[in-house]
Amino acid sequence: MTTFRLPDLGEGLAEAEIVEWHVRVGDRVEVDQPLVSVETAKAVVEIPAPYAGTVSALHGAPGEILATGAALIEFEGGATVVGSMPPTSPDELIEHARPGRDPGEPRHGADSRRVRALPAARALAQRLGLDLGSLHGSGHEGQITIEDVLAAAPLQQATTPPATPAPAGHAQELAEPLRGARRTMAQSMTAARDEVALSTVFEDADIDLWLDSGAVMARLMRAIVAGCRAEPALNAWYDPRTSSRTVHPQVDLAVAVDTADGLLVPVIRDVGGKTAAQLAAELDALKSAAHARRLSPEQLRGYTIMLSNFGTVAGRYATPQVVPPAVAILGAGRTRRAAVPGAEAVAVHRVLPLSLSFDHRCVTGGEACRFLAAAIADLQSPE
Amino acid sequence: MVEAIAMAHGWEMQHDERVVVLGQDVGANGGVFRATLGLQQRFGGDRVQDTPLAEAAIAGMAVGMAAQGLRPVAEIQFMGFLYPALDQIVNHMSRLRYRTRGRLSCPVVVRMPHGGGIHAPEHHSESVETMLCHVPGLRVVCPSSPARAYGLLLAAIRDPDPVMFLEPARLYRAVRQDVEDDGRALPLDTAFTLREGGDVTIVTWGAMTAETLRAADELAGRGIDAEVIDLATLSPIDTETILASVGRTGRLVVVHEAARNVGLGAEIAALVAEHALYDLLAPIRRVTGYDTVMPLYRLEMDYIPGVERIVAAAERTMADSR
Amino acid sequence: MRTVAEFRVEYSQLLGPDGDAVGDLPPFARDVEELVRMYRMMTLARSFDVKAVNLQRTGQLGTYAPCLGHEATHVGVGAAMRAEDVLAPVYREVGTQLWRGVTMREILVYWGGDERGSDFAVPRGDFPWCIPIATQTLHAAGAAMAFKIRRERRCAVAYIGDGGTSEGDFYEAVNVAGARALPVVFVVVNNGWAISVPLCAQTAAKTLAQKAIAAGIPGVQVDGNDVFAVRQAVSSALEAARDGRGPALVEAITYRLSDHTTADDAGRYRQAAEVERAWRIEPLLRTRRFLEKAGLWDEDRERALLADCAREVEQAVAAYLSFPKPEPGAMFDHLFERAPAHLAAQRVMATRRADRAGGH
Repeated sequence: MTTFRLPDLGEGLAEAEIVEWHVRVGDRVEVDQPLVSVETAKAVVEIPAPYAGTVSALHGAPGEILATGAALIEFEGGATVVGSMPPTSPDELIEHARPGRDPGEPRHGADSRRVRALPAARALAQRLGLDLGSLHGSGHEGQITIEDVLAAAPLQQATTPPATPAPAGHAQELAEPLRGARRTMAQSMTAARDEVALSTVFEDADIDLWLDSGAVMARLMRAIVAGCRAEPALNAWYDPRTSSRTVHPQVDLAVAVDTADGLLVPVIRDVGGKTAAQLAAELDALKSAAHARRLSPEQLRGYTIMLSNFGTVAGRYATPQVVPPAVAILGAGRTRRAAVPGAEAVAVHRVLPLSLSFDHRCVTGGEACRFLAAAIADLQSPE
Repeated sequence: MVEAIAMAHGWEMQHDERVVVLGQDVGANGGVFRATLGLQQRFGGDRVQDTPLAEAAIAGMAVGMAAQGLRPVAEIQFMGFLYPALDQIVNHMSRLRYRTRGRLSCPVVVRMPHGGGIHAPEHHSESVETMLCHVPGLRVVCPSSPARAYGLLLAAIRDPDPVMFLEPARLYRAVRQDVEDDGRALPLDTAFTLREGGDVTIVTWGAMTAETLRAADELAGRGIDAEVIDLATLSPIDTETILASVGRTGRLVVVHEAARNVGLGAEIAALVAEHALYDLLAPIRRVTGYDTVMPLYRLEMDYIPGVERIVAAAERTMADSR
Repeated sequence: MRTVAEFRVEYSQLLGPDGDAVGDLPPFARDVEELVRMYRMMTLARSFDVKAVNLQRTGQLGTYAPCLGHEATHVGVGAAMRAEDVLAPVYREVGTQLWRGVTMREILVYWGGDERGSDFAVPRGDFPWCIPIATQTLHAAGAAMAFKIRRERRCAVAYIGDGGTSEGDFYEAVNVAGARALPVVFVVVNNGWAISVPLCAQTAAKTLAQKAIAAGIPGVQVDGNDVFAVRQAVSSALEAARDGRGPALVEAITYRLSDHTTADDAGRYRQAAEVERAWRIEPLLRTRRFLEKAGLWDEDRERALLADCAREVEQAVAAYLSFPKPEPGAMFDHLFERAPAHLAAQRVMATRRADRAGGH
């Protein structure tokens, strides 16, 4: 059987409507004999037989619309298909080659003493105050890549002063590019803001009974562990792509450390499994490393919940930002004396203001409040 | 420069009887700029023809004449009057060889003044070379000195395919140079390095070479060593010369009189970005005419980039890479 | 007030629709072989034309501009020209091209989307089909200028349609031809329609021949369905041009019996009755009747001729359909005699892509 397909009858026509068949199944037709009248967007045209033969099938009744390339009529015998253009293969895109040079061949004329670097890598190195000449290029033809610059950054930053700011003159030249931790903060906070359904709940813990009033951080860490025991849902990761959460049995607490170069958030592992003294020692070590910029990437990764004790500086309440994949952060404000209504009289007690932010996509308000209640209960015990 | 152009015509007409000149006022008048001065007296009215005042006819007849074995050199009086001829140039002149698989061809030169700076009336100061460079099948040439005008015009006439020959109007009489009438052509695919320097490559062509060379002098006084390249053949572009220079300097400034938007400078910048990005020490800068109409002559020198703008761009490029 | 110049436009017809001679016949009309040759070519052009439309309708040819109804004009012009003359066609003059030696296979290759169709083996100097309206008239003027400069006794012939005479290039061409007394003849094929726009909407001029008068050159009108009148008018115009007496314009009045192209549907803008009337005065029938009345033709000869034409057309179609697709690299060939380096590189790229895609 030979299939004759509806050709493009105009210039780029996609379909045609069958107006009238001039032949019937079983008819013997001669070449160029009119087969069918069809109407396209441009014209009513008569399609002739491309070759002689006996009609074995007609496709489409009058009024029916056929797409260009659809089977129109079939003839007995043969196998030639006419009326259809060969399909065009999708083709990969290639960059234009330059005359007379293979892509791998080094360019003549280029100054071989010049360090070859990706423009973005060059700019980054300049911002970080790195000397490109001292870097190893791992890219094509030895080009220095962004990764090469980043790999060298911590090593050189300890010894190299930051790049001298450009002389003032234009507003743009006064702008200082964000570097290092500050740049990371900008990126992660932007992502967090765009993603997290942030809710914050505020409450004060009455710490008037505390025996050791200087142990705020150790008590906060213990309170978080208490909160997580009461509501493990806050010690969790949320993955929006799969709409799944991972509730962690162990509390790995990220602690915000404010440094001159920006916010750093090192992680203390297994807070629940450590004594107050261990926690205090570990925290001190991490803080020192943060200020000296000697934190390893591992020390900055894998937290399950976060703590920000901004009250060491100033401030009562805040809306601390949850940074995914974690779902909760506890913020502690400055302790203060506050009037506390007793059963019969108003007393003045020391209180610790708390702000608990949580990602409402994954954590319910009830869970957050129960966590907060448990944490406050723990904080309000004398030791 | 204008004498060098007339001289090149004369040499080639003397040595190749297929060469004929046609255009408005090219005969007894010798052309409105005198670029064909004395040719009709020397070679007669058949070979130096005044046409009716019809640009499409000049270009269309050049197609017909060339297809039948002549080598027409056609003059369009000003680039602003080129547009009626574009149909013939784009639809036929550029592709007759292609369409007939080499059976017929169009060895035509279409000459026209290019650019402003001569206090001419409206529509007389255009620089729309980009339009021509975009057309496949055309070569586009723009000389910047009498010697290069002579050598490049000879090459254009001898070329077997159509060549658009843009003559910087403000150099016609501004630049004087002794040129040997020796019939030696210059290559149509090679840019000319007018000044060598290691700090920044400045690519330009036509009349802007004058401002650019002055800017290079000024930059030298400020400790910046500029390399100045006269593109000369605007299509096809001599990529090798530009890339070799940028490979040495790591910095590129493109200077042209034509408007900036989709100007030839953009093509050069793209070529360098594609092939030499990793050699660049600073972003590429363009110093161009503005994206507005070429103003009447009281403002034309405000439109045409001056030495100051070129110097500032080069300095900024140097500062960007420090 | 006084009259400073007066003009007339003459109309000529030698053969009426019924096949009777209505004027003094020129010598070629007494040459039996030549008459049969002309009729044969008109018939071949029509056979080819019908087949070409069918090839398009069955997806085997691209857009095609039929010549149905123009056969007398096209063959008349072809027969009037000499081999050494140069033709600048529009895109419909199959009869002229066939007469001059272009093959049906070449014509099909062109409309089948392949530039090689314009690389005629014969005649090497003719211009290829010309789609941008009226531009070809200037090429003919330029060719004529070349002949004149070289003192060659050759002429150029430019075709143009009725709509084309509204274009500036046409006026520039007749003007320069007149001003320089160029050996060129402009044949205006007035078929009444510029796609969908009738002549009355195209111009207020009573004739198109009179447009020559403004250029200072002779303009005549002929019955374009009368192959004798066309050949006679164009022959005498060419003779004058060859003798250095300058150009002329011949307006041939005919009718486009077909759609403008296969992408058009003339039923949308013109009346069936008008087409019906035009069929009654179409060119082949009157030529055949003339031959029959002269005792030179009969039913058997007609049948044999149609069979011959059909066979020739079939052979050309077969040769066209088996003509291989050009290599992708061909799109870079012949753009320049010496390809610039960047084109050579792009050519390699296009060829490699095609190889990877599996040879399309």
